[in-house]
Amino acid sequence: MRVLSLLSAGGETEPGTARLCDVCAEVADMSGAGIMLMSDDAPMGSVCTTNEVSNVIEELQYELGEGPCVDAHKEGRPVLEPDLADPATPRWLAFSPPALAAGTRAVFGFPLRVGAARLGAMNLYRDQPGKLSDDQHADALVMADVAAQSVLAMQANAPLDTVATELEAGANFHYVEHQASGMVATQLRIRVGEALVRLRAHAFSHDLGLNEVAEAVVARQLRFEAP
Amino acid sequence: MRGSEREVLLARTFVDIVDTLVDDFDVVDLLTMVADRCVEVLEVSAAGLMLVSPEGDLRVVAYSSEAVHAVELFELQSEEGPSLDAVRTGAPVVNQHLESVNGRWPRFAARAIECDFRSVHALPMRLRGVTIGALSLFRTHEGAMEEGDVAAAQALADVATVAILHHRAASEAQLVNEQLNHALNSRIVIEQAKGVVAERTGLDMEQAFARLRHHARNHNQRLVDAAHAVIDGTLKPEAFDPPGSFRKP
Repeated sequence: MRVLSLLSAGGETEPGTARLCDVCAEVADMSGAGIMLMSDDAPMGSVCTTNEVSNVIEELQYELGEGPCVDAHKEGRPVLEPDLADPATPRWLAFSPPALAAGTRAVFGFPLRVGAARLGAMNLYRDQPGKLSDDQHADALVMADVAAQSVLAMQANAPLDTVATELEAGANFHYVEHQASGMVATQLRIRVGEALVRLRAHAFSHDLGLNEVAEAVVARQLRFEAP
Repeated sequence: MRGSEREVLLARTFVDIVDTLVDDFDVVDLLTMVADRCVEVLEVSAAGLMLVSPEGDLRVVAYSSEAVHAVELFELQSEEGPSLDAVRTGAPVVNQHLESVNGRWPRFAARAIECDFRSVHALPMRLRGVTIGALSLFRTHEGAMEEGDVAAAQALADVATVAILHHRAASEAQLVNEQLNHALNSRIVIEQAKGVVAERTGLDMEQAFARLRHHARNHNQRLVDAAHAVIDGTLKPEAFDPPGSFRKP
C-alpha cells in the first residue's frame, strides 16, 4: 500500500518510469536506483535512473557487460555488494573502479521477473558501505516485483514491433551507439557487430564513454579509416 | 472410503495440483486429474469440467468418463443445465435430483437420466469475482451429497482455478516480454541501418530515417525488413527511391 501511494504521489494517472525509479530508491532507503532491461544475457539499455551516479552504474554495465544487474539477471537472484571498495572481495574488475570513482560504495542488483519472464534487473546503490537490513532487502524485492509488473503493463498496450512510448520516454536504449555502429561498419567495410566492438575499443583506449565516442561519430567529428 | 483415507488422498491431490505449476503446465492434464480425483475421493460416479474460452463461450475441457463427456456436450448444445447455471450465477448448484428438475432443465435431465445419472451438482470455478468455468459432479443415485464432500469439491475447483489463472498471467507476462525484446531488437536494427544510410548518403540521421521509411513504404516492406536488407548489403541506399516519389504497390 505504501508503494502504491508513493507511486501515485506524482498526481499523474499513469506513473511514469522516472517516478518508478525514484520510488524504488525511496522505498528501500537508498541513494539511487536504476532499471535495466536485458535480452538473453546482454544489457539492452536502461528504462530509468534516479541520478547521475545511478546513470553511470547503468552505463558502465552496458559498456562492460558486467556488474550487479548483469549478474542478478544471469543468476536469477539478488546480487549484494555491501562494499565495492573492500579489496577482500573484488567482484567486478572493470566495473568497480569507475563505479567507485562516480560515488558508488554499496551496490545491489535484483532480478526483474514475472513468472518465467526475465526482463532484466533493478540496481540500488548507496554512497556509504553497508549491508541491506532485512527490511530493506524485503522492500527491494517488492519494488523489483512492482517494477517488473509496471514495465510489462506499459508494454502490454504498445502496437506490435514497437516499444511503448511511455517506456521509451526517459529511457536510454543506446540508439546513438547503434547509429554509430552502422556508420563505422560502412567506413571500415565490416559487420555492424564488429563495428560496435571497434567503438568500444576506441572508447576504452581513449578513456572516453562509449556514448561520447558514438556522438562524435554521428556528428561526423570522428571517422574510422580502413587501413 | 474412510474419512482418514479420504483426507490423505485429498491432501495428495492438492499437492499434485500445486506440482503442475512447476514445469510443463497443461490445463487439460490438470483438470482431467481433478475430474478423476473427484471420482476417487468423493462419493460421485462421474465428474466433468468446463471452462470459459477466450471467445466467451463454454467448452468441455475434462471428464472422468465418456458418459459425462456426452452429457456435458449435450448441456452446451441444449443451452441448459447445472454448469451453465453455476457459471452464469457464480453460485453452486447442489443436490439437484434429475427426475424432479424437469421444469428447470427438461432436455438436459432427460439426457442425463439416459446415461443412468440420478443427481447432479455444479460448482463454479471462481476467483475474486471472475468465474472461469464449472466443475460438475454426477451420481447414479439420489440423496443429498455430504456437506464435507461439497466443501472438498469446491476446494478442488478453487485450487484448480488459482492454478489456471496463475498460468494465464505468467504466459501473458512471457508473451509481452518477448514482444518487448523483439521491439527493442527491431529498433536496434533500424538505428544501425540509419547509420549505414547516413554514412553512404551524407544525410543526417533524421533524413536518413525518412529515406529508409519512404523506400520501405513504397515497396510495401516492413521497416525492419528494409533495415535488415540495408545492413546485409542487399539493399543499397544509392538505390533508394528519390524522396517524394510514389510507386504503386
